[in-house]
Amino acid sequence: MQTQFPPAAQDALAAVAAVDLVKVYGSGDTAVRALDGVTVGFTRAQFTAIMGPSGSGKSTLMHCLAGLDTATAGQALLGGTDLTKQSDRVLTKVRRERIGFIFQSFNLLPQLTAEQNILLPLELAGRKPDRHLFAHLAEALGIAGRLSHRPSELSGGQQQRVAVARALISRPEVVFADEPTGNLDSRSGAEVLQFLRNSVRELGQTVVMVTHDPGAASYADRVVLLADGRVAGEIDRPDHASVTEALRSLAVQR
Amino acid sequence: MSAVLRTQLRGVAKRPARLLLTGLAVLVVSFVIYATVLAQQITKRSVLDGLSGTPAAVDIVARKGTLTTAELATITKMPGVAETAGRMDAGGEVGNEYLQIVADPSTGPLAVSHLVSGRLPTGPAEIAVSPRTVERLGLKPGSTAKVSLRYDKDGKPLAPSSLKVVGVVTGRDDYGFQAYAAQPAVAQMSGSDALNQIDVRLAPGADADGVRQQIEALVAAAASKVKDGAKPEVATGAQVRLEEAREKAKDVDSLFAVIGLFIAIAVVAAGLVAASTFRIVFAQRMRQLALLRAVGAGRGGITWSLAAEGALTGFVTGLAGVLLALGAGHLVPRIVAAFGPHVASPGLPVVPFLLTVLLAVVLTVIAVVAPAFTAGKVSPLEALRGAGVTAGRRDIGKLRWASGLLLAAAAGLVAAYVVVNLPGKHPKDYDPSLNLLAVVGSGGLAFLALIALGPVLVRPVLAVLGAPIRRSGPVGRLAAGGVGGAPRRAAAVSVVVALGVTLIAGCLVGGASIRVLADRESSLSSPADYELTTKDDPIPATTVSQLTGKPELTHVVPYRRLLVKTGNGTELSAVDVQLSAVPRLAGLDVAAGKTADLGPGKVIISDFMAGNQGLHVGDKVTVVADKRSMALTVAAQLGDNTPLASEMVIDPSDMTKLGAPAGYTGLLADQAVAGEKGRADGRRALTDVVGNHQWAIDVLADQRDQIDSELTILLAIALGLIGLTVLIAVVGVGTTTALSVVERMRESGLLRAVGLSRGALRAMLTTESALYGVIGAALGLLLGVPYAWLAVQALGVNAPFALPIGQLALVFVILVLLTAAAGVLPARRAAKVSPVVALGAE
Repeated sequence: MQTQFPPAAQDALAAVAAVDLVKVYGSGDTAVRALDGVTVGFTRAQFTAIMGPSGSGKSTLMHCLAGLDTATAGQALLGGTDLTKQSDRVLTKVRRERIGFIFQSFNLLPQLTAEQNILLPLELAGRKPDRHLFAHLAEALGIAGRLSHRPSELSGGQQQRVAVARALISRPEVVFADEPTGNLDSRSGAEVLQFLRNSVRELGQTVVMVTHDPGAASYADRVVLLADGRVAGEIDRPDHASVTEALRSLAVQR
Repeated sequence: MSAVLRTQLRGVAKRPARLLLTGLAVLVVSFVIYATVLAQQITKRSVLDGLSGTPAAVDIVARKGTLTTAELATITKMPGVAETAGRMDAGGEVGNEYLQIVADPSTGPLAVSHLVSGRLPTGPAEIAVSPRTVERLGLKPGSTAKVSLRYDKDGKPLAPSSLKVVGVVTGRDDYGFQAYAAQPAVAQMSGSDALNQIDVRLAPGADADGVRQQIEALVAAAASKVKDGAKPEVATGAQVRLEEAREKAKDVDSLFAVIGLFIAIAVVAAGLVAASTFRIVFAQRMRQLALLRAVGAGRGGITWSLAAEGALTGFVTGLAGVLLALGAGHLVPRIVAAFGPHVASPGLPVVPFLLTVLLAVVLTVIAVVAPAFTAGKVSPLEALRGAGVTAGRRDIGKLRWASGLLLAAAAGLVAAYVVVNLPGKHPKDYDPSLNLLAVVGSGGLAFLALIALGPVLVRPVLAVLGAPIRRSGPVGRLAAGGVGGAPRRAAAVSVVVALGVTLIAGCLVGGASIRVLADRESSLSSPADYELTTKDDPIPATTVSQLTGKPELTHVVPYRRLLVKTGNGTELSAVDVQLSAVPRLAGLDVAAGKTADLGPGKVIISDFMAGNQGLHVGDKVTVVADKRSMALTVAAQLGDNTPLASEMVIDPSDMTKLGAPAGYTGLLADQAVAGEKGRADGRRALTDVVGNHQWAIDVLADQRDQIDSELTILLAIALGLIGLTVLIAVVGVGTTTALSVVERMRESGLLRAVGLSRGALRAMLTTESALYGVIGAALGLLLGVPYAWLAVQALGVNAPFALPIGQLALVFVILVLLTAAAGVLPARRAAKVSPVVALGAE
């Protein structure tokens, strides 16, 4: 419940870590320092939430850690690999096999069915899908009956659950979720978050989630707070009240 | 200006490249139209610059009536007349070849020919020849030719005159059988004093009208004194020259009218492409337009402003195309002049300039109407919902279904009409125009049906043809899915590709069928590489064995020809050529019976003879030659003529029995060694043996090659013109891919985030582009081949149906490669964008 300094980034238990990560957009007068030297580690088999006011750099941090965006300086370590130094070819492989990503919206390709969308990363990798895992995910996410439908025929909640299934089907080292419940009603959102937490508990999955919603953050094991591109604190075993309080104090500080 | 229009124009001003991209097809078409106009100007001016038939110095012309040398003499003495030239020609034969001796002074302002080498002929025993005549007839300067100029009343030639060739002159036309001499000499040669025309040059200061009236009176009086005389027309030189210019210009105009037809098709294609690209562009602006509607803009206002944008696009791209064509049109003569030939400059045809730009505007406005109307209907809520993608609607609505099926039914009915009314094998009085028009009409209706039903056809065609692509891996599947997911867009673009391919397929199939027909006919008239013929000097058997022994020749086959009378009195030509010995006659089109059955007492008859005499295989026919008669049984009837311009083929023993001399009338031979040298060697071998005999050598192989190459050139030109439509189609595919890449930016970002590499994304987009080509080419072949067959049949020339499968497959492959290439640049641009930026795109 108190803020603590984040554990050492080289911790063997860290599935993914940032070391002095810097990201600058634009140049000269209009340069924006989205990340200003972030050092943080995310523990394996844990559900971590990244929170902060808008403009704090939380989405940017996630994009850099997932290899979707290139950092200006510093290191983004996935397991032992420094993603900032890798070629696009390697990063592509990483995205296919070692990372799962869930966006806030527009997760699915409109012309593919739910099943085809879920199996897409494996297809791109040329790997055969694990049918047991697939069946289990479909069942657990409650979409087993909608697998042959196109995204336009699914509700928002169902679309997100399909996206979750896609993120998990390749058994990634880390699952990144960027405001996954932002566009969902509270019940659908709760279902998705519950499932993410279960995957951590039962499958040993590592999940890193960016959110601005204290209710969503309460599903996590740990919350990392960002403000103005820097780590501003941490909450262990968060609950709604502690998170809300921490956010308020961050806001007041500005 | 309305607020909506202002907003749109600002958007256009921010990204002018987008405007050009949308109207690229219209730009290309405007360029081509104006370039063709300029080409027509260049051609006309260059043609008119050339030698006119009537020299510029000619002031008065008397022609088209009864004129003789007497009038010529009187006119020459008239006051005010400086010079006259009487135009006449004498026709004669050198050996077996025709020679035309044209009267021309070859010197002075009234000459239509001029000396190149040697000297001008003097007197009635000398001639000068044109350069091609030297080659073709072998009349070299210094040699003497025996020319039969006079004939008796039965048409038999009298004793030939010896004419010495003293020089070489060139005139306007050189067909290879022209010689020139002075007019008095030609009059003596032909033995006639009739003139075709009298050209008069006036002295400076002469009274032109007065002289003309005098001449008119003179020739009228002279003609009235002659029985059946026709009063000649007297015109000024300027009038005649204008007439000739108009004739030549008419030829140029009719040529360009045909080209114009192909361009019209390309204009239609450009319109289709423009409509499709506008639809995409407007769809991408859906959020913007919806915002305008949410803020209070009316439906009509949006539709009008979008149409205005279309007009502006048409104006800018049309103007750009025309200016580019103007630049090219003025550059080309300068470049060509550097290589030698002088080609006229096209000038600046103003009216076509304005008309072309106007056409571009009209075309674009028509193309933009439907998309603008649809875009104007956007509901204001779309802005808030954040829609940004064109509808992936799979269905096409009842109206489109109905009209499509109706059009298809109409096309089928018209085609059925043609099939029912096809001519038989040998039609009499058959006018193909109606049937051909019906074929074109049916084709047009079928194409409209294709446009209407296009989106529905995309998925099935893709399912069949896209199977190998889909099986090739996830990239292929994604590409096929991307194309199949937007069937309207795919159909819009593929339809234009189909148009181009239909035309190409029609051209190739028609060309192949006509080529087979030409081959078939030429193997009847030119069954070997060389032919030796003689009129009065039969070829002895010793010559035949001499030639058979020559290594440069092979398949030496002699034959005799005899004119015989048949049952109903018709006189027909019979030959005794051994069909099995001549390779090209081995595969004759036999209507009935077997050619192998020919032997003593039998005859092979032509189709004409069968019809004329009412004969069938097995019937007996009596042939009479001189006083001998013989009864022959018909062994076979050919589908066409019998070879060597005859009507029947009989056995050599029968021919001898009918009284044909032992010496041969002709001889066929092939070159033993292929190639130019082999052909020249064979010809030399024949010339050596011919020596001083009056035998004519015909290099049939040359004639065959010439017809072949003429067909090929014609085909190449037609394909080149059709290539224009294909170019527009490929441009359409490129712009569609480029625009849809922008629209699917987020999709691309998602794919990259999920693990698609840059190269794979490029491959996916290029494959999508290629798939448009696959669908279009498949539909084009499906339409083009049957219609080509129908058109060939409707021509009524009994042409066989030849399917050049290799060429058609090549066309398919080339189209797919071209459309894939069109997608390369957009694919590269898409792959360069980082996934995050792509995902954040709107």
